[in-house]
Amino acid sequence: MRLGAAAAAVLLSPWLIAQEGHPLKGTWHGSWGVNVQERTPVTLVMDWDGTSVTGILNPGIRSSPIEKTAFDPSNWQFHFEANYKDRAGATARVSIDAKIQDVTNPRRSLVGTWTQGDKKGDFKAVRDN
Amino acid sequence: MRPHMFTWLLLTAATLGTFAFAQAPAQAPAQAAGKAAAPAPSTRTGRTTGPRPPSAPTPRWPDGHPMLAAAPGKTGYWNAGTGGLTGKNGMNLPTNLDIGEVPFQPWAKALYEARRADQQKNDPHARCVPPGGPRQFHTPYGLLIYELPEAKRVLVLSGGGPRTWRVIFLDGRPHPTSDDFIPTFLGHSVGKWEGDTLAVDSVGFNEQFWFARAGYPHTESLHLIEHISRPDYNTLKYEATIDDPKAYTKTWTGGHYIYWVPDEDFEEYFCQDNNRDPSHLVGQ
Repeated sequence: MRLGAAAAAVLLSPWLIAQEGHPLKGTWHGSWGVNVQERTPVTLVMDWDGTSVTGILNPGIRSSPIEKTAFDPSNWQFHFEANYKDRAGATARVSIDAKIQDVTNPRRSLVGTWTQGDKKGDFKAVRDN
Repeated sequence: MRPHMFTWLLLTAATLGTFAFAQAPAQAPAQAAGKAAAPAPSTRTGRTTGPRPPSAPTPRWPDGHPMLAAAPGKTGYWNAGTGGLTGKNGMNLPTNLDIGEVPFQPWAKALYEARRADQQKNDPHARCVPPGGPRQFHTPYGLLIYELPEAKRVLVLSGGGPRTWRVIFLDGRPHPTSDDFIPTFLGHSVGKWEGDTLAVDSVGFNEQFWFARAGYPHTESLHLIEHISRPDYNTLKYEATIDDPKAYTKTWTGGHYIYWVPDEDFEEYFCQDNNRDPSHLVGQ
């Protein structure tokens, strides 16, 4: 009985705390980098205030607000910029252009490109349950 | 009752069939008075199986306000499996907007269309999430509305879904304003009788469900105003006003009729029991 209840909770959990409001709202985990080996993990926490997307990059002591957000629901394209702070304390301006994939899925993805100075690579993040 | 894929297919077909065969809802209560009118949605499946019983007058409490449950000594429940907030067909109100008139914000319209395009495969309701807001009034397997005068509350019981109940406070209390208030599936509801109509005001909804089967988006800013009345014994009129400025550019209103199923009680049904359907919802 307990095992069945636990299994049911696991199976149902993505929808028990799914977010069905604005598709960008929530916490997203992912990474960016120039290739599959050189990756920088990132966390985004975003919200919708009725007119624009707001949020922070990497909540914690190295957090920074996301800026210049632009969202096009006709093609689910999203743009934001932020001042990324690395562990050494250096700050660099990053620019992300990504598209929401599988928008109706609670575990939807943001997939696109990352630009940081003269470096360019890919970006991907998945929305948390 | 254990739901099988065949049962869900029947229910879907029954829902479509009910829309096809139901008469214009604006005339439904008047037609029903004193004579068998449109075929009655049958029990918990929503299928029409015969003429709707002639309607008796609205039952009333001693102080005269309408009773939304069975009259004393009788049984029955509301067949809430059909109806919607947009469109004027079937059991929907003739005052409903057409879907093209709904004042969506662009993101909300795009999300609604995406949900329709993949045939609502990610509807949280199929994963046994509670039916908040208007969804409770078109969830299959029955609806009961009990007023508890001594407690100054109305309980809205769902026979389907995860077998939820919602509380509407009639004691004059305000909505919570504390920052500690946690949004919930069913929100916080306060109500009062305005003549023969129960007016309900609700806030505090989370964003973890679809407030209607059609898949209209909402946010935690949703302020829901409902008007519930019983024009005759067999008919419930449900009307909801959606006030959600983060998802819609202005408020909008829609609703439907719900018909009474006499002389029957809920069967036991738990969405979580043997719920095999999510794996079948593959969309396109």
